[in-house]
Amino acid sequence: MEQMAEGIDPATLDRLLDLVAKEGMVEREKLKPDATFEELGIQSADMVVVLMAIEEEFGVYIPVDGDLADAETVGDFLKVLAARMKEDAA
Amino acid sequence: MTNQTRRIVVTGMGAITAAGRGVESLWTAVRDGRSGVSDIRFDRYPRQRITKAAHIKGFEPSDHLTPQQIKTTDRFAQLALVAAEEALRNAGIDTATPLGPRTGAIIGSGIGGAWTTDDGNYNFYVANDRTDLMTIAKVMPNAAASQISMRYGVRGPSLAISSACASGTQSVGYGLQMIRAGIIDAALVGGSEALLTPSTFRAWEVLRVMAPEACRPFSDKRNGMVLGEGAAVLMIEELEHALARGATPLAEIAGYGTTSDAADLLRPTVEGPAGSIAAALQDAGLAPDEIDYVNAHGTGTILNDISETRALRQVFGDRLSSLSVSSTKPIHGHALGAAGAIELVVTVEALRAQIAPPTINWLAPDPKCDLDPVPNEARAHSMSAAISNSFAFGGINATLALRAFR
Repeated sequence: MEQMAEGIDPATLDRLLDLVAKEGMVEREKLKPDATFEELGIQSADMVVVLMAIEEEFGVYIPVDGDLADAETVGDFLKVLAARMKEDAA
Repeated sequence: MTNQTRRIVVTGMGAITAAGRGVESLWTAVRDGRSGVSDIRFDRYPRQRITKAAHIKGFEPSDHLTPQQIKTTDRFAQLALVAAEEALRNAGIDTATPLGPRTGAIIGSGIGGAWTTDDGNYNFYVANDRTDLMTIAKVMPNAAASQISMRYGVRGPSLAISSACASGTQSVGYGLQMIRAGIIDAALVGGSEALLTPSTFRAWEVLRVMAPEACRPFSDKRNGMVLGEGAAVLMIEELEHALARGATPLAEIAGYGTTSDAADLLRPTVEGPAGSIAAALQDAGLAPDEIDYVNAHGTGTILNDISETRALRQVFGDRLSSLSVSSTKPIHGHALGAAGAIELVVTVEALRAQIAPPTINWLAPDPKCDLDPVPNEARAHSMSAAISNSFAFGGINATLALRAFR
């Protein structure tokens, strides 16, 4: 997983994956980089909940449009998050 | 084809949007690409993430309504009353004479009295102020239809269709069907929405679909929609009824189609919208090749614009590449339950002027939106028929087909 989320330190990645598992209501072990949200059964309404949790926990407001629109897998999603969190930190 | 025996025409229109008051203001803004979007700030919500909206500025209810009407109406019903008055005057109807039992009023709204709810909750939970005595009668989504019925003596069916962003289009569609069925001869149909309140705005922010800068439908680098507010009302009549009273038809409402995705709550499908467009064409007896202009739902979100393009491609095939398809939402915003009615007014005006209004803020093509969005500049060309699309949360799709009246 780490190689899919360059720029996110391991502790943050751990918290992020916990969040996605909890808010998306999926088992944490199933969050492999190439797992698609469709396979995981994570719907648009779940994604809204995940992004809200990220806003509350990390203070970043991430719109669903823009880079995130093309994210189909967990790996894609983490890549976008890493970029946005880096931008916010900068 | 018994349902085709009664033809239904638009004889009057009214609108109030961020582009201005009146159909003329709306049409010139849309044609000339003049956006009504500007900064919006809420005193009660200091931590706003998004600040762009197409809100109506300087609307004074007392310029249009009686003190009694003002006391008993939310902003959404007030806007609808203003649009209805213009529609009736435009239709050449004496507004002092009751319209009677053969006329209906169907005014859609996604939410209804959002300001009354927002203020009411604030007063109740925070400010400890007296509750507005008319809260219930102001909040109810049918309040606009009822106020119009009361004001103009509409004694036929009056109701609100509430189907989120499809409300306006469905309200016209069911008005059309009621007249065809012979239940009524005429109806004031349309939609109204006024939900640019602090807590509703936050509710949209957390859906994360609003554009931080500008709404640019079908364009590369688009990143969301811009909320709007407003109302549009159309006077529609059975053709003989209209001609008998000497009215001038502005366009014919030729067909209506609607489908449900039965899939995701928020994300649109391709099949649902395609089915709705095809159904409207079939209902109108129009072939895809006869359509000259599409007023798209075109919210400017990544997903809507891709699925709408695919749906149009499915129905229009190769013709799509030479078909003018524009979204006027960057001008008047996404007015939700009023959107379909506002955009139908725009589509009628486009047919009358023989001008396809542009999709403004357009930067460059998105290969996934391979259609002709009439980028940034209006285009004059001959048009005899057009459609207007509305797609809603909950997976509701609705399309109206218009013919130019000659």
